[in-house]
Amino acid sequence: MNKLSGRSRALRAAAGLAATAVAAMAAGCGNGSPATSGGRTTVTFDYLWTGTEAQKLQQIIAQFNASQKQIKVVGVANPDMQKQLASMSSSTGSFDISDNFGNNVGSWAAKGILTPLNGYMQSAGMSTGDFIPAAMDEVTYKGQVYSLPIAVHDFELVYNKAEFAAAGISSPPVTTDQLAADIGKLTKVGKNGQITQLGLGNPDTGTTLTTLGYVFGGTWDGPHNDAPSPQDPGDLAALNFYTKNITDKYGAANVAKFTAGWGQYGSPQDPFYTGKVAMIIDGEWQPVMISENAPHLDWGVTDIPYPANDPALKGTTQLTASTLFIPANAPNKQAAFTFLKYLTSPAAMLKFSLALGNLPARTSLLDNPAFNSIPNFSVWLQALKSPNVHTLASQPYSQQYASDLATALNSALLGSVTPANALASVASQAKSYGTP
Amino acid sequence: MRRRQLLWGLAFAAPWLIGFAVFIAWPIIASAYYSLTNFNLFQSPQFVGTANYRAMAADPVFWKSLQNTLYLTAVGVPLTLLLSLGCALVLNLPVRGQPLYRALVYLPTIVPVVVTGYLWRWLLNVQYGYVDRILGLLHLPQPDWLENPRWGTQAVLLLTLWTVGGPTVIYLASLKNVPRELYEAAKVDGAGAVARFRHITWPTISPVTLFQIVVSVIAYLQIFTQPYLLAQDHLNSSSGGPGNSMLTYSMYLFQNAFVYLKMGYASAMAWVLFLVTMVVTAIVLLTSRRWVHVGSR
Repeated sequence: MNKLSGRSRALRAAAGLAATAVAAMAAGCGNGSPATSGGRTTVTFDYLWTGTEAQKLQQIIAQFNASQKQIKVVGVANPDMQKQLASMSSSTGSFDISDNFGNNVGSWAAKGILTPLNGYMQSAGMSTGDFIPAAMDEVTYKGQVYSLPIAVHDFELVYNKAEFAAAGISSPPVTTDQLAADIGKLTKVGKNGQITQLGLGNPDTGTTLTTLGYVFGGTWDGPHNDAPSPQDPGDLAALNFYTKNITDKYGAANVAKFTAGWGQYGSPQDPFYTGKVAMIIDGEWQPVMISENAPHLDWGVTDIPYPANDPALKGTTQLTASTLFIPANAPNKQAAFTFLKYLTSPAAMLKFSLALGNLPARTSLLDNPAFNSIPNFSVWLQALKSPNVHTLASQPYSQQYASDLATALNSALLGSVTPANALASVASQAKSYGTP
Repeated sequence: MRRRQLLWGLAFAAPWLIGFAVFIAWPIIASAYYSLTNFNLFQSPQFVGTANYRAMAADPVFWKSLQNTLYLTAVGVPLTLLLSLGCALVLNLPVRGQPLYRALVYLPTIVPVVVTGYLWRWLLNVQYGYVDRILGLLHLPQPDWLENPRWGTQAVLLLTLWTVGGPTVIYLASLKNVPRELYEAAKVDGAGAVARFRHITWPTISPVTLFQIVVSVIAYLQIFTQPYLLAQDHLNSSSGGPGNSMLTYSMYLFQNAFVYLKMGYASAMAWVLFLVTMVVTAIVLLTSRRWVHVGSR
């Protein structure tokens, strides 16, 4: 045997090994057939919930798995939305069903990320008539339903009863004028000019101010909820109300300095729980959070005050939805829909809502006595029956609009620009939405 | 024989060549094409010509991010060089505990950048942060670093300058290569410390300075992690800080690519960044002929 043939054999062997390795890798990449486990179709449920919420969800998944023998759902907690998007961009996805928020539906549906559900619902004889109409508006894009709401959230005025009593206020405000007056009575400024308590806090700038925009009769997405309208007079009135009664009155720098020292939201150091803020506009998850973090807090909740000169705006609130969807690249769409239908059924939705302290997305559940166990929950529940429940549009431009609004609103609260100029800048940027 | 050697060479280089082609060259070529399309990653790209570039020209947030990035580069690069060279000169002095001091200066560089970012969010807090506490003790102004648009970019600068340990170590190594006999000869001729630095140290380390400038410029033009962490409101959100004062070019590119899913626009931004980087680097290299001393020059 000469060296030449020996080398040649070595080369051929190496090439053969490499080819085998490549073939093995390719075989492992993607498999179109549904995965099975013990004869049952495996459905991977990749969800954003974590911690105790995830534990409660796992219990519901276990109940579904025990209730039938065709499908086995495997729940995976994954709070990273970027990872969620990355998985949905490949030809075969790593999960069959997941959750997100209603305001993303339009953008994702327009990009073909989501599986349209109308056909599946029709085949299953499933009706959406019982779902809260505003929630269904969020998950419907161009006449197709792309997600189903598993829970909804609305916002009410949560207040510290002890601080009210200390300030001599006998009842929570009903009108925006009373709210302005109460903010003044409940905001405390120390001798050195530093704020020690704010009358109205702001857990989330975007949510608080967009909700106030609706309260003042405004709309953020035009009359048909399909085009940005940041300069609507009601929106400007809301921003003016906030700046006039808080940031301009006490100094934007002072307010920013005070809020910079707040503890983490929803923790025992939350500013509302520690008495640094007397009122907040926040969602129905507060009763559960307060019971876990500030069980001795004497608190109440009421409808958000409305302008006295327009009683028709009474009961205004903003609704957001937690939604379940099937990605377009899901390997087991039919099985995933079966699980989706189960999760959004009245019985499972009731368990889910009670476990997480969220509002049910079905009108038939709004008067269910099971929710009486959650303190003050009925205020948020009954608010969903109001004709003045609004949602931000779920359109392809929604994410960019939310980002631009957040920057502009923040600038207005910092006193860098006037409210009018802040909203005008968003209107100007909105002209580019829809262009590449 | 030669052909066989060539084939063997290619075979050994093949893994790198394939990796370069698949993970670097192809994405670069693809992004050039995508920059001319409306592409959201989930659907086929639609050719739109130069629409992305025209949209960029009219996008005020694009110009704000470019302005922030160029400011960080124009201020950050000289400050980085000044601080690192100053630290290197001091750390080059024969004093007791020199290795400890060198380690302390380099330590921030090895702390993970995410940890650094969250640590500085606490340090820069206007209510309880130590930075303003120390400034207050010195009777100096105590800015709202993370809440005031005027101070947002400065907060990012502070965070980046905290890790001058890397350039310092490079300068330390170059200072070791300055021939001692030149210093001795200069001392004999009566040259003071400043003159020795100006006529001996600075020219000798000028090639290293050129390297530091080029690397720092590229790093600042691409800066992402530090401002992203400082400006972040909560998980899964990307904020540009107060008044977008912390929004850098790379952050805005990331927002367009992965939040708004405008991959075509983001690709166009990437190519503009590449051109800006090339132009700035070319200017630095062309001007270097006047001040970089190489060998016997």
